[in-house]
Formats: sequence, C-alpha cells, structure tokens
Amino acid sequence: MREAYHVELDNLADRLSGMSSQVADAMERATRALLDSDLKLAEQVISDDVKVDDARADCEEKAYALLALQAPVATDLRIVVAALHAAESLERMGDLALHVAKAARRRHPDPVLPEQVRAAFAKMGEVDVRLARKAEEVIRTKDVEAARSIEADDDEVDDIHRNLFSVIMDKDWPHGVATAVDVTLLGRFYERYADHAVSVARRIVFVVTGRMPGYTGSDV
Amino acid sequence: MAKRIEVKDLDIYYDKFLAVQGVSMTIQPRSVTALIGPSGCGKSTFLRTLNRMHELVPNARVDGKIFMDDDDLYGAAVDPVNVRRQIGMVFQRPNPFPTMSIYDNVAAGLKLNNKRLRKAEMDEVVERALSAANLWEEVKDRLPKPGSGLSGGQQQRLCIARAIAVQPDVLLMDEPCSALDPISTQAIEDLMLELKEKYTIVIVTHNMQQAARVSDMTGFFNLRGVGQPGELVEIDETTKIFSTPSKKATEDYISGRFG
Repeated sequence: MREAYHVELDNLADRLSGMSSQVADAMERATRALLDSDLKLAEQVISDDVKVDDARADCEEKAYALLALQAPVATDLRIVVAALHAAESLERMGDLALHVAKAARRRHPDPVLPEQVRAAFAKMGEVDVRLARKAEEVIRTKDVEAARSIEADDDEVDDIHRNLFSVIMDKDWPHGVATAVDVTLLGRFYERYADHAVSVARRIVFVVTGRMPGYTGSDV
Repeated sequence: MAKRIEVKDLDIYYDKFLAVQGVSMTIQPRSVTALIGPSGCGKSTFLRTLNRMHELVPNARVDGKIFMDDDDLYGAAVDPVNVRRQIGMVFQRPNPFPTMSIYDNVAAGLKLNNKRLRKAEMDEVVERALSAANLWEEVKDRLPKPGSGLSGGQQQRLCIARAIAVQPDVLLMDEPCSALDPISTQAIEDLMLELKEKYTIVIVTHNMQQAARVSDMTGFFNLRGVGQPGELVEIDETTKIFSTPSKKATEDYISGRFG
C-alpha cells in the first residue's frame, strides 16, 4: 500500500523530468525554425505543445490524488507541492517555445529576425535549451548545487535580453516598427523561458532543503 | 496553574528491564506537546512517569529527574498522590465511574481529595469544569443520570471535566481520541486548544494528523532496536517536525517509511 505510494511519488518526478526534456526539445526546434525559417519544424513544435499540456494536467491529477489519499508530510509533501508548481512552470516554458514557433510560421517564408539580432537569438536559444536540460537533470538527481548553477546561467540570458533593447531603441533602427515589435516580444519569450527554468530549479532546492532559495521569511 | 515540566536524563525501568532511556525535554506551560512513535517505544510509559502513575506497576522505577517548575516530582518528601492531583490524566478509553451520576463523576476528584465544599460551591465547581470541557450545555438537564449513559465522546469529555475539576497544573492525555469517532475527536481537539490557555497539556497519540493539528511541540519516540529501550529521537516545534525534521528516523516514521 505504502510502497505503491512511494512509486507514485517517483512517477511524479519522472513526469516532470520528461516534461523538461519535451520543452527543451521544443525550444531547440522553435529556435531553429526561427533562425532558418523552417516551417515544417515550426509546425511540429506547435502540434507537439498539446503533449506538454497533457503532461501538466496528468501531473496535477496525480499530485491531487496523492494529497487526498496519502496525506504526505515533510519531504513527500514538498515533492507534491513542488511538482504542482514546477509542472505549471514547465507548461509555460512549452507555451513560450510555442510562441516562438508561431512567430516563425507567421512570417514564413520571410525571416522574422534581421541579421543584426540573429546571433543574440541563437545564443539565447542555446542557453534556454541548456537550462531546460539542466532542469531535467536536477529533477532526476536532486542535485542542489546543479540547481543553483541554473541561476547563474539565467543571468546570461538576462544580459542578452537587456542588450536587445538598446539595439531596438537605437534611433537608426532600420527595420521598422513591426519587426521591432517581433524582436521585443521574442526576446521577452526567451527571457521568460529562462526564468521559468530557474523557478523549477528553485523548487527542487526546496524539495531537498526545505527552504525556498531567495525567500527571506522564516525557516519553515 | 500551567507549570513547566523539565525532564533530565530519565531512565525508566520495569524491574531490571530498561524500558526507556535517556529522555531529556522541556515541556512549556500553556502549550500542547504531542508524543508520537510506534507501539512499544515507551511514550505512554514516559507519560505515566510525569505524574508518577508509572510506579503503580510493581517494581517499576525511574532514574533521572523530573521537575515541575522548581519542584522535584521524585523528591524524597513528595507524596505521589499529591503529584497525581496536580497532574491530571485522561485515558484512551473513557472511564467514568459507571455507577456514579454525571455530577458525582465530576465531583469525585474533589471528594477524594477531602475537599469539604458546601453544596453551592460544589455546584459551581461542577458547572465550571463541565463548561470548560464543553459538555455543560449537553448534560446540564440530566446531571443526576449515570455517566455511563453518555455517548463515547461525551464520556471522554466527562473524564476531562473530572480531571480539570481539581484544577491541576498539567493535563496528560494518553490517546484520548483513539476510541472516538471523527466528530467527537474534533470536539476533544477543539477542547485541547481551549484548555491550553490555562494548562500544560501532554498528549500521546498514534494519529499523526492529530499531533500536527493540535500540538505546538512534537516529540518522536522510537525503539533503538528489537529488545532495546525506547528513546526520544527528537523534539521540536510541530511545524518543524512535520516539514523538515532533523533526524532521518523521524522523517521515515511520519512519512510512513517503516523498516
């Protein structure tokens, strides 16, 4: 009886690491679709997103059942609560990859990005995917140090994102308003994606240590 | 009222058998302290040493010290009966005196303590105790009826009224809800939260959710091994014990990871 419960808890973690892997793939493909104006790849990301949504619903259902039937406490309780939050973050990451793919589809066959900012997006895409893969690893290994290193990587995305603004705001920006809007929104998608990956990592630190990193309240 | 209990290096023996070893803890006044742990780990035995009921078992004894505020409960000049008057106890099964009326059940403690009270004074004490036990409204019209005619939950509250009628400093409860349905259990739990305003309460419970709900501090007892004495593994704030306990054995127990 109790054994089945612990198997269920493990399953929940497996689900989450599976979701991380899905959203990492999604962002990898979406970025390629964006940079190469690859319509087929963009379509694939768009149709695959429903799988991430389903996985999130499944995680939630499992977590509620565990709460209702097993009354978990201590580490077990933290796993269930963290899973609920992490599943939501991962679903958002999937949605953000979806937005990128949709932008690529919308402009097809024209490129969305002017040459001037391609490198920045290639880099943000690369770091985002790396963060999601790390999150997957952190969920599997519950390695607190690895979880903390995700925050450092996120700073890299934040720097590129901030730098994009100065490029767009330049009064000599030659690509027009529509492109500026696209670049602004896309930049924002990549930056949010990385933030959600950080949030997932923080939940794992919470599971292991019982403390939410960056939270200054009481210990419990 | 509501005194602090300080336990220092307490070993509890049944004859030569060491049942519980090395317990030290401070029980704060006006709080509920819950003791949890597997059967046979010595938590009820420990509870009984707090009001010297333990020594009603032949050849049972303790080493170590228990202080209530500054009084040594096991001091040479201390009368155990007096200790039991100051530290009341409620048991697992409601045990009202079966032939006595509801009124006499509550008054019994005072009468046994040779308190000579006038009828009006006694009436007042009985009403106050029954009110404090949240039973007054339910029984005020049938005080002369036998206590055994009440429901299980009412009987348990009657026993609590009997225990607090003598105005103890500390109230010990040994699984007070394990024979009760959830509604009566909730009534007793609500009562504990009210009583802790005035009393020091120590409760032994197998219901971990109950410990989590009602107690301020939780102590986890465990057996060191088969045939080994029981011990206090850790005691800490209840929120800490049920969220991030310090000892792995505690986490395993509250999470249901046995063996």
